Parts: sequence; C-alpha cells; structure tokens
Amino acid sequence: MKRGVAIMVGTKKGAYVLRSSKTRTRWVQEGPLFAGEPVFHMSFDHRDGESMFAACNNTWGGPKVQVSRDQGKTWTVASNPAYPEGHRNTFRRTWHIEPGHAKTPNVVWAGVAPAGLFKSTDRGMTWEPVLSLIDHPTSDQWSPGGAGETALHSIAVDAGDPKRIAIAISAGGAYLSEDGGKSWRPWNEGTRAEFQPNPEPEVGQCVHHMVSHPEKGGEFFQRNHHRVYFRNAEQKHWEDRQEGLPTNFGFAGTVDPHDPDTAYVIPLDERLRLAPTPGIAVWRTNDRGKTWKRTDRGLPKGAQLEVMREGIATDRLDPVGIYFGTVSGDVWGSADGGKNYERVAAYLPPILSVSTATIE
Amino acid sequence: MLLRGAYRDFAGRSRLNVEATTVGEALERAIEACPALRERVRDEHGRLREHLNIFANDEDIRRLNGERTALREGDIVHLIPAISGG
Repeated sequence: MKRGVAIMVGTKKGAYVLRSSKTRTRWVQEGPLFAGEPVFHMSFDHRDGESMFAACNNTWGGPKVQVSRDQGKTWTVASNPAYPEGHRNTFRRTWHIEPGHAKTPNVVWAGVAPAGLFKSTDRGMTWEPVLSLIDHPTSDQWSPGGAGETALHSIAVDAGDPKRIAIAISAGGAYLSEDGGKSWRPWNEGTRAEFQPNPEPEVGQCVHHMVSHPEKGGEFFQRNHHRVYFRNAEQKHWEDRQEGLPTNFGFAGTVDPHDPDTAYVIPLDERLRLAPTPGIAVWRTNDRGKTWKRTDRGLPKGAQLEVMREGIATDRLDPVGIYFGTVSGDVWGSADGGKNYERVAAYLPPILSVSTATIE
Repeated sequence: MLLRGAYRDFAGRSRLNVEATTVGEALERAIEACPALRERVRDEHGRLREHLNIFANDEDIRRLNGERTALREGDIVHLIPAISGG
C-alpha cells in the first residue's frame, strides 16, 4: 500500500478496511473480510509496518485469530489461544490484540474471554497463557461485565518501558506488570466502582477502555464505567478527570499520539447507551482532563448514536486524524484534529471496533 | 459424513467417507483428513463446540450416546451448524 492511512473496522458481520492517502480526503472501502464473523478488534503492527491482526469470533466453529503480513491483502489463520489442560477456563472469544513494545518486535498480546491474557513470541501465530495474571489470587473477584462474560479487553504497553504493561478486565479492574508479564498487581488506586457496596475496592472496577500513550512513556488513560482517569506510572493514584463531561458514562476513549495531555471520549447516556441530547459528539481535552470541549462540526445534529469500547481511534499524522464507528454502521472521520468531521463509510453492519494503520 | 453450512466451508468439502465404529472415531477420522476442522469442532479441552449439532442418521447424538454412539457400515453422520436467533 502507498503511504497513507488505513482504518480497520470490525463489525458484527465481518471487517472492512478503508484506505486513503495522507490527505485523508477520499477513502476506498475494502471488504467484508471474514464475512459474517463478528470481528471484535483489529490492529496494525507499526513496528514491522506490515502485520495486521483480527479477532474473529465466529459463533459456528469458534473464534479465530487472523494474521496478515502484507497490510491486509492476504490473511492466515493462527493457532488459537488455549487454556491449559484441566484449567477452569475454556477460550471463547478474543477481545483485543495488541502489538508489544518496539524493543520486543516478535511479541504480541491478546486479551480474551473468559478473562485472560495470552502472549505470542512469533508475531501472533501461536499463543501462551499468562497464568500469573489469569490465576492471580484476586481473580475470584472478577465478575462478568455487561457483555455477560469476564473479558480482558485492554492491553496498554508503556512506550517507555518494555517491561511495563497494564491490562484491564470487565469487571475486574486494571492490573500492572513491571517485569514483562511475569507478575501482576492490582492497579486501581483512586478509581471507583459505584455499583459495589465498597465503591473503592482493590479490584473489580468496571474499566471500559484503557490505553497507553504511543510515544511518551509512562502515560495511561482510562474510560471507566462512571469516570475518566489519567495516570502517570509514577503516580500513586489515578487522577479523576470526569468533571466537565455531559454524562458520567461511555465506552470509547483514546489519546492524541502527539500530546499525552490530549484525549478524546464519546459520552453516552448510561441508561440508553446512546449519545445524550443534543446528539453525538467527540469531547476533547487538551489539558489532561481539567477541561473538556464538545466537538461536533459535521456530525449529524441531534443523532443519538451508540459507539462501543473500541469504537474510536486516531492515526499518527499531523494534524491528527480521529475516527469513530457507530453501532448503526457509519464511520465518521476528522483529518484536522477534530475541527471538522465527515462520514467516511456508511451502511456497514453494526461497528464493534475502529483502529488505524499509519503507513509511512 | 455429510458436512453442512459453515462446516462444509471449514473442511472444503461436503462429504467424507470414513471408517469408524463410533461417532467420536468418525470425527477423528474427519479431522485427520481435514485438519482445519479440529479447532472448529472441538475446544482446547477436546469438548465439542456449543453451536454444532451432530446427527447419527436422523438422531441427534445428544439423545443417543454422544460421541460413543455406535455406527454401522453405511450410517451417515451429519455435522450441522446449530440455528441461532429467531
């Protein structure tokens, strides 16, 4: 593929890839790939500039991880993540696939349901369970989230330290490893679980989405069930930065690749799981959540759309491109850092995830 | 063995002739012939996947003896995706 951006869209009925040059003014749609299969997440490996991964969760015949080595032109089925013989868990679905740190170029991580972390050391073709997390002494306190199962859905690799990895589980909270995944500790200080009798438990928080900054080391961001938090790995607590958002609920959130103080979230009404009045918007902070600003130019006025936890992503160009996909099947994009949005794909199946590849 | 729907696609064929005395043996022979079927038919613990119906002739093996259901020469084993939804 020529230099530019690819938006990888996972839907309930297969995956689509939208490709554009660096101008990001015209998009060519490919797909569906894996037609008919729910694709929970796709990712691009910016380390080798060629690998793509897809978490395909077919009802019939079970889930599959698909791997491409040519930027999505052809795909190969990888071996499934598998729990060890006799283990209480049976692999049901892949929720997230995350390339590892730049200094470990063959490592790829997968988050699955029932909640578990798997590690590949051959760029996604085979997987080993990370039992130090899966069988953590607190794992009996993980409870099924809204999707009806425990799921490890977020994997955040510290750009500054290949041994520091954070993960998040619904509903089990966040965990941190500082030895490359050999050991883990709960990492929820300062976050709330308002659905529990004790609203500040050690584990059990309902994290909806967590990311690390792709360039600046030590910076993490999470969209929690009720709150939004920032944290530097050196801090003792997550910083609550919910104030200023229109609702205390949402799933989708991400950070700006050029500025760790800039983040984007799409708030939803908690009961309806839809954008609140006056309709869909991306809310942006440029000051680490001290203030939030609504951005909606070009978005449909008054539209009460739904965006899921993997539903928003940025590219790595400057100005940054911001993209989100809706359950009603549209992809909206901004090529100017969120000043203006336009629809870049329409009438797709319900969108489960949006991720990007910036091809240099 | 007759493979329907998605299972026909996984195996790349709709019919397999196998020699087996039980349904479980028939499945193993089919997997040997079409290795791509293995993870589509069983999970990592060897259990049959949820959304797969297997019939020995006209009977669901859940109502017979499961994978131990005996087969005779000429019997037909059907692999059929379970219908989900309305």
